[in-house]
Formats: sequence, C-alpha cells, structure tokens
Amino acid sequence: MKITTNRNDLLAALNQVIGVVERRQTLPILSNLLAEVHEAELKLTGTDLEIEMETSIDVQNLEPGKTTLPARKLFDLCRGLPESAAIELNVSGDRATLRSGRSRYTLACLSADDFSSLDTGELSQQIELPASELLKLIQRTQFAMAQQDVRFYLNGMLLQLRPGTLNVVTTDGHRLALARYEMPDEPSSDQSADLIIPRKAILELARLLGQVDGNVVLHFSQGQIRVQVDRLRLTSKLIDGRFPEYERVIPQHSDKHLVLDRERLRQALARCSIFSNDKFKGVRLTLGNGTLTLQSNNPEHEEAEEVLDVDYQGEALEIGFNVVYLLDALTTMPGQNITLSLRNADSSGLMTTSEEPTLRYVVMPMRL
Amino acid sequence: MDAFYASVEQRDDPALRGRPVVVAWKGARSVVCAASYEARTFGIRSAMPAVRAERLCPEALFVPPNFTRYRAVARQVRAIFRAHTPLVEPLSLDEAYLDVTDHLGRFPSATAVAVAIRARIRDELQLTASAGVAPNKFLAKIASDVNKPDGLCVVKPKDIDAFLLPLPVARLPGVGKVMNDRLAALGVRTVAELRRLDAGALDARFGRWGRRLSALAHGIDDHPVNPDRPRRSISAEDTFAEDLPQHQLAPHIQRMAEKTWAAAETHGWRGRTVVLKLKTADFRILTRSITPASPPTCADDLRRLALGLLARVGPPADTRYRLVGVGLEGRLAPAEAAPGRQASLFLAAAE
Repeated sequence: MKITTNRNDLLAALNQVIGVVERRQTLPILSNLLAEVHEAELKLTGTDLEIEMETSIDVQNLEPGKTTLPARKLFDLCRGLPESAAIELNVSGDRATLRSGRSRYTLACLSADDFSSLDTGELSQQIELPASELLKLIQRTQFAMAQQDVRFYLNGMLLQLRPGTLNVVTTDGHRLALARYEMPDEPSSDQSADLIIPRKAILELARLLGQVDGNVVLHFSQGQIRVQVDRLRLTSKLIDGRFPEYERVIPQHSDKHLVLDRERLRQALARCSIFSNDKFKGVRLTLGNGTLTLQSNNPEHEEAEEVLDVDYQGEALEIGFNVVYLLDALTTMPGQNITLSLRNADSSGLMTTSEEPTLRYVVMPMRL
Repeated sequence: MDAFYASVEQRDDPALRGRPVVVAWKGARSVVCAASYEARTFGIRSAMPAVRAERLCPEALFVPPNFTRYRAVARQVRAIFRAHTPLVEPLSLDEAYLDVTDHLGRFPSATAVAVAIRARIRDELQLTASAGVAPNKFLAKIASDVNKPDGLCVVKPKDIDAFLLPLPVARLPGVGKVMNDRLAALGVRTVAELRRLDAGALDARFGRWGRRLSALAHGIDDHPVNPDRPRRSISAEDTFAEDLPQHQLAPHIQRMAEKTWAAAETHGWRGRTVVLKLKTADFRILTRSITPASPPTCADDLRRLALGLLARVGPPADTRYRLVGVGLEGRLAPAEAAPGRQASLFLAAAE
C-alpha cells in the first residue's frame, strides 16, 4: 500500500475517528486504525468493539492495499507536522514509512485481517430529522446519563420513537431528563421503536452533528444504529436492555409551583454548593410565604444561606436536593424563567420552562 | 509459627511426625499450602504446585488442609500474645507484630518476653515458633526468619548495621522481583550498597517509595504496631480443575462474587471498588476494576459489576484462564454505605 496526500487532509480525517480509539487498550489492534486504499481513496476506521467510526479522504493512490496503523502516534505526528506538508505513506509488511520533506518515520503495523469491524448487516429502519434538532435533544439531556452504572441500560440515552414524536430520555436513577421533538407529518414518522444508544456513541454523535447543516438520517435495526454524514460514518451497538418506564416517575400531582429567574437561582445554588458536603452535595430548600430559602452546610460547620423572593402563598415545605442535580438542569435549560414544581419532602421535584414546554427535568429529593 | 499448618498436622497425628508432610488438596491444579521442614529438605515450598511437590518427594505424605482447625490454633496463639501486650498486629494467621515497649511486665527485656512466649507456645500448644526481637517492625520481621525453625534472633540497636548491611535488598519489605531487578540495574544488591545511594537520587527515581527505601537502608522504620489495622479489601478466588476459555468464566465469577459478598456481610464491610482478577494459563495476572458512582449494595450488584468487568478483559478469544477472583476494595464508612440518603426514581421492583 502506498499513497501521497497532505498533512491537513490526513489530520482532518484522523480527527474524525480518533475519539473512538481508547487510550488504554487491552487488545493492541484496538489502538490501531484500519487503513484501506482503494481507487483514489484512503478509508480510515477506528473501533472500540462497541462503536465504529469510518471516514475517507481523497489521496493519490500509488499502490492499493490495507493495513492497520497506530492511531494515537499517527495523529500526534500529523498534528506536529507543518501545515500543508506533503506526506507519502508507504506500507510494506509490518512497517509503515511516512515521509514528509526530509523527515522519515517508521510505524509498526498490524494485519488488517485481525481488525474486527462491526457486522452492520441490514439496517432496515430509519428516521430523518434536522441535525440541529437532534443535537438540541442530546444537549438538553445528555448530562443525566448514568456512568458505569450496574444497570447498564442507564449508561446511555433512550430514543423513543412514537408516531409523530421522538422522545429522548436519560436518567441515572436519581434524576431524569426528557426532551421531545414533534415530527412533521410524514409517512416515515409513523413508526415505533425504543433505542438505547451508549454514552460514548452519544458524545461522538453530538460532535458529528455540530458539523451538519440540514437533515440527518439515523439508520437502525434491533441491535445497531448508524449515522452517515458526508464521508463520515458512525456505527454503534445499541444497549440491549429495557429502559425503565420513565413516564411513571414524572410527577403529576405537584401542588406548589414556583416561577423563578433561572440565572438568579442557578447562581445562588452555585454559591451554596461551595458550602455543601463534598460527598452528598446536599442543599436544603425551605419554602415559606413569599420566600424560598436555600441552605447548605458541611462537616466543618461552615454554612451558606440565600433568600429568594417567590410568588408563593401556602403551605410551608422543607426539602433537600443534591445541588449538582439542580445545577445541571438549570445550566442546560433555555429561557429566562423556570418553574419548579414540588409536592412534599419525599416526592420528586419537576423543573419546566415555558420556552420549551415539552422539556422535563425530574430530581428525586435527598434526606438531609 | 514454623511450618504452621504442617506442624499442626504433625502434632495431631503421630504417624506424620518426623516425615515429609505436605498440606495440599490432591489434584492436578492444587498448590502446596504448607510443607514440614522434613519436606522442605526435598526442595518443597509453599505455593508450589502440588504435582511438582509430589515429583520432588514421592514419599511425602499429603494431607488436605483443615483451615477451621488452623484458625482455632491461631486463636490460641494470639491469646498467648495478648496475655503479654494489647499491641498485637496480626500479619497473617500465624504471624504477628507485638509491641512490648511499655508492656514488659515482670520481664527485664523484650528478649525475655520472646523467650517466655515461645516457651508457652511449646508447653501449651506443642508447637514451635520463631521470633525476631528488634527496635522496629521491619527489623523484627527479618530477624524472625533468621533462625527458623524454633529460633530466636535479637537485633540490638548497636547491632543494626552489622545485621542489616550484608543482607540482600530483596529481604527488605516491599522489594519484590521487579524492584530487585530495578535496583540491580543500579548496581545495588545489598543493603550496604543501597545505603550508599544518595537519598535524593532514590527519591527522584522512586518517589515516596524511594524515601521509604532509603529509611529502611538506614534501619529506620517508625510504623507503629497497630492492633486494629483496618481491612483494606475482601476477595475470593478459585483455581479451576482445568483451564477455561473466557466464555465459560461467568458462572465462576458469579460464585466468587457471592462468596466475596457473603464475607463482606460477615464483617459488616462495604467497598466502593470492585476488582476482577484473572490468571491466564501461562500465569499472567489480569485485573480490571470499576468504582461505580453508587457502590454495590447487594450480592446481585457485585455479581453484575464483576461480570461487566469480564467484558472489559477483551480477546484474544483463544486465551484460557486458570483462576478467577472477585474482590471489594476502598472501604466505605458506615454513613456512606447506608443507602437511602438520596432517594431513587425507580424502585428495585421496577428495574
């Protein structure tokens, strides 16, 4: 295999696929990218066996062939080369020689036959929506995905497809985020499916969607999802599990509704969080006539107290929350004002905004 | 205690006395738990495959281990220790550090205490113990090995250098094979050579551990004898009757997870980190660990986490394994272990 290309093209391609290659690998070949030269194209593929990213660039093909190249080294090298430097890459046996100007680098290759591609099979279903809308759904909800939870089905994002709507749900078991997209009336939108996309694929997908104008098509089947944007293709396994019935935990019977300035509440909570216990991050909300008091303290007996004016007359309430959960939601929500709906000290809190009425953030309380 | 398990067996069965005794289960995969001094003359050592021990000494008498009995005897030994000082730090079932500085009682010196303890063990339990008497823990530990079996070695403060300097560095606690090789690369074989190295150089090369090494080379160790040293981890592991491929490990991992959880329950112990340990057929040890946001709260959590770690071991698919272990590390304070501070959205039943 032998090609000539330039540093900028190669770096741009590497940049698109490098994210999927884990820094620490148990299997040496997973640190490598599959490189295939066919006609006037170099195709690069990276995988962690869950997600696969594939892209291609135009090159001058001097000799077709395929191999695998050490991803991180190649990436770091290209980054370090001068802009628009010409590159010649020549693979012979288990050695790749990269020449640029008077510099020469030799990289160790592993056989392309040992590289495991995700078996894509037939991805029979698809949905199409504006990339900006999908990106917004992800941005509104991704913070609530679980991380390394034993309930593996929480370590991802639920895309719940129903006729006419797409619900996106994330939860770590303590809080939940729900965003909704109303699909335009089209025949293809008349389908139902529940897809749980793994956390890492969501992060890659968000990165990819940022570069797209117009629509994006998600191809999926029972076990896989695939997105193709220009020459970049992301394929991911879906999490094989049953997502909890999230509708049941969205509070329906809240009777105390507080309209609050989002930014003021966020700043007050951020200050309180400095004084909360590092482990539990608790903050106490005390609701009285016309005021909402925020309090936190830590084992060193340091304290914070903030009082906000609210338009509320009624029963008093004292309730504790993990301040990080409240802050995550407030940071993500759009709009000037938000509504915090509560019922009692044991029931979950609901945050909504008139800016995007279908957006729901649910947070379970914490006993303080 | 000298050849502890084997000595207990010989004491309780006159037919075994004076003969090479190996405590090990019978089986192609079992490992020697203990070997009597008669067996050791044939080159048999603990942790050696039983098959190899059998080859070294075909006439050796193999006795299956009876840990319940060894534990009972170990309790008797500790009772004798505690009669002399409350500062007893068990190191294993049959070894302990004793601080007698302020607990000499009617004895004139620490050496006299050691003599008395060894005499009581011999008279009351018909077993022999070896002791090292020194100004600190690490010297005492090295000294205890010097005159084994049935020996006593005293290192007085003025004799520290004479005792310590000629020793190979591998005798220092914490210097295993890897460290020994790294030191050998620096031309260091004995403690005397180690002491000649600049403390700053050791610090630069090995960090905090370098400073400790430098202190040890000077015979300095101010770690106190800690009678209630907290348990750092709980684990269970098992060697299979035959090597297994990765896809057959799950049931064994589940079994070990349950065993570990049961042990943790018994000790009222909770950990935040789950460790999966595998040993390949060619004796490479692989470990994977995970510290989930919410620590495991039941056997099922531990089981699922350990199985999840298996997925992270990765191919090659033809690797075969001889051992699996599941452990819990990173002790949680009881307040953190108590569930229910942060309420959950989904009840267990809904999951």
